[in-house]
Amino acid sequence: MTKLNLDIIGGPLLVLAGLALPFAGADYLMGIAFNLAMWIALTQSWSILSAMTGYVSLGHVVFCGIGSYVFILTNGTLPMPVALACAGLAAGVMALVIGLPVLRVRGPYFVILTFGLAELAKNVIVQIETSLGQFSRLIFDAPALDTLYFIMFGLAVASTAAAVLVRHSKLGRGLVAIRENEEAAEAIGVPVTRLKLIAFVVAAIIPGIVGGVLLLRTSYFEAAQAFDPVISFSIVTMAIVGGMGTVRGPILGSLAFVLLSELLWARFPQLYMIILGALLILFILFMPRGLSGLFERREARR
Amino acid sequence: MTILDVQGISKSFGGLKALTNVSFSVEEGAIFGLMGANGAGKTTLFAVIAGQIKPSGGSVSFRNRTITGKRPDQICRLGISRTFQIVRPFAGISVLDNVIVSALYGAAASNSHAEAREAGIAALEAVGLAGSADKLAGELTLSGQKRLEIARALATGAEMLLLDEVMAGLTPTEVEEMIATLSELRRARNLTFMLVEHVMGALMALSDRILALDHGVPIAIGTPAEIAANPDVLKVYFG
Amino acid sequence: MSTQLLFAALVAGSLYALVALGLNLVYGTLRLLNIAHGDLVMIGAYVAFWMLSLLGMPPVLSLFAAAALCGGFGWLIYVGIFRKLLSTPALARRLEANSLILFYGVSVILQNGVSLAFTSTARGYQYLNEVHRFAGVAASGNRLMLLGVALVLCLGMLLFLRFHLFGWSLRAVIERRDAAAVVGVDVDRVQMATICTGFAIAGVAGVLVSMTEQITPFMGFPFTIAALVVIVLGGLGNIFAGIVAGFALGFIETFGIAATSATYRSILIYGLFVAVLLLRPQGLFGKAIQAR
Repeated sequence: MTKLNLDIIGGPLLVLAGLALPFAGADYLMGIAFNLAMWIALTQSWSILSAMTGYVSLGHVVFCGIGSYVFILTNGTLPMPVALACAGLAAGVMALVIGLPVLRVRGPYFVILTFGLAELAKNVIVQIETSLGQFSRLIFDAPALDTLYFIMFGLAVASTAAAVLVRHSKLGRGLVAIRENEEAAEAIGVPVTRLKLIAFVVAAIIPGIVGGVLLLRTSYFEAAQAFDPVISFSIVTMAIVGGMGTVRGPILGSLAFVLLSELLWARFPQLYMIILGALLILFILFMPRGLSGLFERREARR
Repeated sequence: MTILDVQGISKSFGGLKALTNVSFSVEEGAIFGLMGANGAGKTTLFAVIAGQIKPSGGSVSFRNRTITGKRPDQICRLGISRTFQIVRPFAGISVLDNVIVSALYGAAASNSHAEAREAGIAALEAVGLAGSADKLAGELTLSGQKRLEIARALATGAEMLLLDEVMAGLTPTEVEEMIATLSELRRARNLTFMLVEHVMGALMALSDRILALDHGVPIAIGTPAEIAANPDVLKVYFG
Repeated sequence: MSTQLLFAALVAGSLYALVALGLNLVYGTLRLLNIAHGDLVMIGAYVAFWMLSLLGMPPVLSLFAAAALCGGFGWLIYVGIFRKLLSTPALARRLEANSLILFYGVSVILQNGVSLAFTSTARGYQYLNEVHRFAGVAASGNRLMLLGVALVLCLGMLLFLRFHLFGWSLRAVIERRDAAAVVGVDVDRVQMATICTGFAIAGVAGVLVSMTEQITPFMGFPFTIAALVVIVLGGLGNIFAGIVAGFALGFIETFGIAATSATYRSILIYGLFVAVLLLRPQGLFGKAIQAR
């Protein structure tokens, strides 16, 4: 019951705080909140595939990148909301197309394959942009920060809601069975290929839109940055540090890292990466249930 | 009435012939036993029927419907469910959750969580695991995990269960209990069984008919008494 | 086909074969996919650079220094972390499942640690760059040395596995770790020796690379990817096929780039990597065959 209470009180509180924030009037604060919302949206969507099925993706950024690219190509021609929808759609379609062959690969090979795919996509887009003579594309008509913040906040809520829904649905139970033992899942009637593909596509759409919104914030597109593997790595670290077993995990992980990334990522990128790497190793070895595991233990004791 | 009809199944891995022209049929409500030494092809035959392995030749039909070439999950939804010789519990979730997934996705596929839970609890009760419903599946003893394999197959709502060595590794008392459980299941739920078993006494006691395999080749088929008296079987087993 | 390109392909191939050899040994015996392997190559390269710039030590001696340093690092993490983890089945399973993410963490730390200490500026030095001409090929001394050392190490490892008793135990562990222990192989000793050797080979490869091209803290990852391509092509633990696949990759890369442009190198390597994994989704779990 404690767990329920915590979520029932904590969830709406977070949402209220998120909605009230723009009226605090501090752009710096809103910038941080924008990033927090972004990390929650990304990590939560990642968890729909990776935490649920155990197919750990180290290339989630590929969907952001594709979303960004489609957004920059369509924005201007199409109204901004439509362009954002296109970005999400493009990421979803990409997942649908590559999903079947990619999801046949298991375990550590899936992890490294997703990384390789993201790098491949990055290099291909870089090459396309170079051959077009484009080195970075600018956006001039970006909305104000508070508008962007509300969009990103909406994505964080949507992503979290999707994660909650999947976790408590028949789909979610099937995905967990796949994670625990794929052959056994198939033998009791779970259509493993279809479910994995659904999870993959669902997990891809939100990062696609996030990629578009992020472009509006930075106001320029550069392929190497849009597909930066640091983003994938941050997502995995946040998820593992937050805990993969609950919907709370990605939120806790994002909260834990947003300040760190705010302070260090831009100015001391190497230090940021070293701390991330060290925490990742420590949590995998010594705290596999992550920060949310601490909550569970406390609740279990009561 | 015939529920399962296997015609001329062959399977080779590279040069090795695992199954050669195996044919038999199983009557509805029967317990059909498979015997043979290690490597005789019993588990391969199960995997062919359940769809995990595509045969090189031959066909399998279930209720007059060809199932060769279908995926394991499709075959399960048609009403055949198998257990694994090396148990494969969903170790990280509760025993009850293990069987609920079965009920949600198996032949009786239900979209209602409450229904699935009911079917799951019934399956756990049938194998005597109801008391461990809230434990993590990984925390069960081997005997418990073997029972969970059966419960999970039951909860799919299958009409036919393929049980792969569910008694191997159990103590004599546990084997007795398992025999009682299976007899009771058959009586109460009108299920059809195929058994692979090394525990010869159990196989003889439970089966209506038995197929003996030797290196993938069928050498005899008949009632337990006929098999026990068959000269080919005796030669393979006792030299 | 120009003999000059052929020579370039041979050099690239021998380097890939050598890097993949180390990764293959460690994966085969410890079942840990060391994605930080390429970063050990980078460490080896920096050893050579600093030994030369600070102490004036010729890179050929750094071959030994880098081998000792990287091998020592292998020993340290084996004794410090893996020995205990691998001996408890539950922990070993968790480790195997997460090994890739874990080593990615190590890789990130090594890359950024070196970058923090020495900046990410590309560095290089001149060594043995006199050009030898024979059979229509112009070959610099450092490339000849790379080819020579890589070939000697690969061949030596093959012979060792084939004819030395310890090599036999190593093959036994690669094929059947559980069974090897039963027949009296000291699995712990084999694992420790292998991780040291695998890491040392990576260090040596790094020194060789630094003689021929510029080095940066982030140069390692492409080597890991290339080594993975080689191992997936050749099969787990199949040392001989791995070496052949290494040369195959060198040829594909060299001639692929010659036919297009050097800017396609990353696309080629990553494209090949993705293609190989998609075509062989069982990945390294493909049949383990002994070194022949």
